Amino acid sequence: MLSSRRLLISITIFSFLFFGCKPRTPQLTFAVGGASNEVEYWEKIVSEFTDSTRIDVVLLRQPTDTDQRRQGLVIPLRSRQQDPDIFLMDVIWVGQFAASDWLEPLDSVVATGDVNLADFFESIVNQVDTYHDSLYALPVYNDCGLLYFRKDLLEKYGLKPPVTWQQLIRSADIVQENERITNPHFFGFVWQGAQYEGLVCNFLEFAASNNGGIIDSAGGIIVYTPENIRAADLMHDLIHKHKISPPNTYTEMKEEETRLAFENGNALYERNWPYAWALHNKEGSRVKGKVAAALLPRGHNGQHAAALGGWHIGISKFSDNKTEAMTFLKFVLSYATQKKLALNLGWNPGRSDLYEDADVRRKMPHLDVLKNSFDHAVARPTSPYYTQISEILQQNQNAALSGKSSSDEALARAQREINEILQRYNE
Amino acid sequence: MNRKIKEPVSFLLPLIFFIAAFLLFPVLGTFWNSLWHDVPFMARRFVAFDNYVGLIKDGQFWQTSFFTIVFACVSVSLEMAFGMITALVLNEKSRLRGALRGIALIPWAIPSVIGARIWQLIFRYDYGVANITLKAIGIGPVNWLGTSVGAFAALVLADVWRTTPFVAIILLAGLQTVPDDILKQAQIDGANIFQRFYRITLPMMKPIIMVAILFRTIDAMRVFDLIYVITGGGPGGTTASLSVYGYKFFLTGDFGYGSAVSVILFIIALTMAVVYIKLGKLRSQ
Repeated sequence: MLSSRRLLISITIFSFLFFGCKPRTPQLTFAVGGASNEVEYWEKIVSEFTDSTRIDVVLLRQPTDTDQRRQGLVIPLRSRQQDPDIFLMDVIWVGQFAASDWLEPLDSVVATGDVNLADFFESIVNQVDTYHDSLYALPVYNDCGLLYFRKDLLEKYGLKPPVTWQQLIRSADIVQENERITNPHFFGFVWQGAQYEGLVCNFLEFAASNNGGIIDSAGGIIVYTPENIRAADLMHDLIHKHKISPPNTYTEMKEEETRLAFENGNALYERNWPYAWALHNKEGSRVKGKVAAALLPRGHNGQHAAALGGWHIGISKFSDNKTEAMTFLKFVLSYATQKKLALNLGWNPGRSDLYEDADVRRKMPHLDVLKNSFDHAVARPTSPYYTQISEILQQNQNAALSGKSSSDEALARAQREINEILQRYNE
Repeated sequence: MNRKIKEPVSFLLPLIFFIAAFLLFPVLGTFWNSLWHDVPFMARRFVAFDNYVGLIKDGQFWQTSFFTIVFACVSVSLEMAFGMITALVLNEKSRLRGALRGIALIPWAIPSVIGARIWQLIFRYDYGVANITLKAIGIGPVNWLGTSVGAFAALVLADVWRTTPFVAIILLAGLQTVPDDILKQAQIDGANIFQRFYRITLPMMKPIIMVAILFRTIDAMRVFDLIYVITGGGPGGTTASLSVYGYKFFLTGDFGYGSAVSVILFIIALTMAVVYIKLGKLRSQ
């Protein structure tokens, strides 16, 4: 008798745990993740917002890992939850979320003049935030591929920073040959070739700077083109023919591996994201003060190109506090807040006018190169199936890099597999 | 209901509950999911066996299946050979037997992800122990994980290292059931050590060897952690097993297709388990 009563009590407690209903919050819920110092700084920004507007904001802390952050938003949005009201999205999710009709259009904010689109980079807003002629998000933090180089070494051998890939190969060759005498681990150029998302970004840059690309004018995915094959060949040759990139490029090289190789003084050129700038120049880095950044090289008659990354802010279509969310969005995108984010977190501002700000420029001297890069930014496709497309690209590009398939075979296979997937999903 | 029935049923109830909750329900759930077209950003749609038809047409699926089978065959044969040698050594009466048995079990005691990470570090191009050793002898660094053959060899090596102790312990138990007097008798009759092993020990151990092979084959067919950590399926997708292949679809959000891969893998493992039970029955008859 006693035991059954105990059982009943436990079951009741358990069901409270599982089905216990969360009280409906009248406040705004803002989902943001990242490194712990970043989330802590967001907490400060949120409290400033509450102080000035009397709108309560709950900060929904998300993990650091990008895939987990995505999952943390997809689940509530798919089940049409009112919370979170507003959140940050990686550039590649904006298209997926907008296609799913999960985002509130922001055209009204622009129409009322509360947000001036001229303050942002046109190429980014057009490529990332616009879906079917409507605006769904705005950039909070911009990111793009850069070429880091050792000024001291170029000077030592009387060379100039490369503008074209040919110049990069030639100068890397000279420096590598001479530096190898004293440092057998030295390589001319390190970049990200392991089988992961970073490879797609690197490939996009090689392709776009050689007049290639993977998005056609109708928005379809076109991988198998002569320009792209040439770009894939170039990547393969850097490792196997010119031998200026290490043989483990296609097995191990991700951002941190390239950064460490460069920071240990084992490379002349490095392709990486802006985050590496501060670390290269940190106390204890062997290349402190010897580093400069430039646009990534271009092909013979191509354009400079930089893969676009970054985080954009958007409002949930299912939010129950849309007006408050709009107020918060304007606050985050304001000149003052963006400046604080740049000065305190080293975030490259989403607003273009901050790149002229004296305080910000003093703190981030590479902003000029960055600003220039954003004008050459190439976005990844905004397809709702981008994740699957990326998987296919990663695997086939990696096969081409390893020499297991020729570039022609690998890209033809990638195209076939992408067509199959799109057909399966769109039927 | 009288007490005679009530009592045994109440004892069985927790077991039935746990089997249903943790085995039956997930398996049926996965099968049910595999009948749907379930991709984020789209409406869920019932497609019956379309995902399976897709798999049959999917070259990547056949390639990974082939890889999985080759991997299982090669690594299980090596594990059986080394496991048998280890078991024979451990079965010898010596003062160190206790200590040796403990030491032999270490690879099996290390969590498999950590073991895999250790092997990945060993084979690293720039600072892996394998390349540092080669350099000491004067041979240039080798990009072990950069070719499909090298990556395959590295995976087999890591798997053999890890599971040989497991096989050895099973075989050791079998070895101890071989009666000493028969072996002594054979020795008196003039059989040498190899004859004794092939004619007496091996045939008597056949059932337990079958058990070890089946356990290991089922396990090797499902290999995931090792490959995920050491090669990530690379280079160029040449070392992806069925589990790694299926996982990819869960990651990218094609749940129906990923479930179909899981169901196929489950059917393979189940078939093997049924074979194992059948063999077990033969043994007891």
